Amino acid sequence: MFLTRSEYDRGVNTFSPEGRLFQVEYAIEAIKLGSTAIGIRTPEGVVLAVEKRVQSPLLEASSIEKIMEIDGHLGCAMSGLTADARTMIDHARVTAQNHRFTFDEAIKVESATQAVCDLALRFGESVHDEEAMMSRPFGVALLIAGIDEIGPQLYHTDPSGTFTRYDAKAIGSGSEAAQSELQDKWHKQITLKEAQVLTLRVLKQVMEEKLDQHNVQLAQVTPTGFEILDETKLQEVIEAM
Amino acid sequence: MNSLAQRFSTTSPLAHFRKIQRLADEDEDVSDAAWGSQAGFGSLTKGVPTFTVPNLPDPTAFLRLHTDDHADPNCRIKIQHGTTTLAFRFQGGVIVAVDSRATAGSYVASGTVKKVIEINPYLLGTMAGGAADCQYWETYLGIHCRLHELRNRERISVSAASKYLSNLVYGYKGMGLSMGTMICGWDKTGPTIFYVDSDGTRLKGDLFSVGSGSTFAYGVLDQGYRWDLTDEEAQELGRRSIYAAGHRDAFSGNTCNLYHVKEDGWRFIGNFDISKMHYEGPGDVPGAPGGGYGYALRVEGKSSANPPVAEAAA
Repeated sequence: MFLTRSEYDRGVNTFSPEGRLFQVEYAIEAIKLGSTAIGIRTPEGVVLAVEKRVQSPLLEASSIEKIMEIDGHLGCAMSGLTADARTMIDHARVTAQNHRFTFDEAIKVESATQAVCDLALRFGESVHDEEAMMSRPFGVALLIAGIDEIGPQLYHTDPSGTFTRYDAKAIGSGSEAAQSELQDKWHKQITLKEAQVLTLRVLKQVMEEKLDQHNVQLAQVTPTGFEILDETKLQEVIEAM
Repeated sequence: MNSLAQRFSTTSPLAHFRKIQRLADEDEDVSDAAWGSQAGFGSLTKGVPTFTVPNLPDPTAFLRLHTDDHADPNCRIKIQHGTTTLAFRFQGGVIVAVDSRATAGSYVASGTVKKVIEINPYLLGTMAGGAADCQYWETYLGIHCRLHELRNRERISVSAASKYLSNLVYGYKGMGLSMGTMICGWDKTGPTIFYVDSDGTRLKGDLFSVGSGSTFAYGVLDQGYRWDLTDEEAQELGRRSIYAAGHRDAFSGNTCNLYHVKEDGWRFIGNFDISKMHYEGPGDVPGAPGGGYGYALRVEGKSSANPPVAEAAA
């Protein structure tokens, strides 16, 4: 059957004649609709910050969860279809715990990221004649922050299953402006405090609403472990801004 | 139980059928459990909780034949049985005390076994029965406790953790698992102890002792136990009970490991040599009476061997 060019975006398993997988590219586009998330690596640890879109005054802002703990030394910020991220993070958590069980040591940041990306690549697969278990690519990008024997690290993953290490990375709707701002401001000796302030400053520039302690979430991974900053600590950073 | 054994047996007609089925779709070796991450994969595609059962029509009978040293002292596989473990609940938390001897038949295999399994900072499990079974399944329980914590942003209750374990071991009922354990911890309801064994029994209680030396430990424990024990008294009672079992039970002994669970998690109190406790006492620790626990020392000057000086003179 003759397929017109535009019909190559129907299946997730078919390359277009130019060698593109349209569904994967569309999934990457979906992230650009998501709220902005920023990660910064410092010699002391990694800082993660996300914008929470509080669409209604009746919405309980604390119920929006865009930064999650994977294990004691691993945290994750997301942008895009956050429901997809829950599946990926649960997978990362199980992998991290299985690693501890089998090897009696904490999983490396890269290994955890790799495990998530393995899952991201499994769309279009079917098992034993059953219906496909995942019919489309994930519509979410993650910033995975963690500390292991190599030190603090920040990884970015996208729906194609690609992962890359960054010193500072922004994802989501405001990512282009935020990324160039990060490129300007990031330097090798940036402290954790400076990084906290920088993430919020950059978020403030790309957010439509006025930034306050209810519409942002800040977290960090330091040698003491993963921590989501509570309202009072967040307020302190906002004031330091 | 038989149907369960048959399910895992590798020579039954059912197994034969499964083998053919497996060969048919061998190239699709993706685990059904993979999606949703319930079984755990990643580095382990097939998930953690699987093990091979003897390749026989009736693996249960095979295991019983070769592991039950009560019925047949010459059996090939000696499972480590002798132990004394105890745990009790009181006003100040939970005391967990165990001995450290591992025996295989009448042979002392080790004197430095860690029979308290630190599941997480708030949960302890004790080891009696098969050392490997306890160690493996209680560590496995630790995975699920941590995942519960991450998924629900709340620590698992002692009740839920112990129920998970008891359901797990019940699934392997009759297949040779051997464990008698106490899951101890502090949760929203306060200090809690559950007894779980490989039959699938799960009991909530204030005071338990498990193992060949449990009767000796119960003797000391029962007469000294009160709810309003102070922390020091409770620690001393745990230590003293393990000492008694270590002294009288041939399959228990060497040293005593003592733990105290409080609201902020468990704390390791210390390792006490049982022979040393007999002659010199546990040393300079809170609650220690001073001097050895040994009978001969406590009756100094009051036995026929060395009667009191005043009476002898009279």
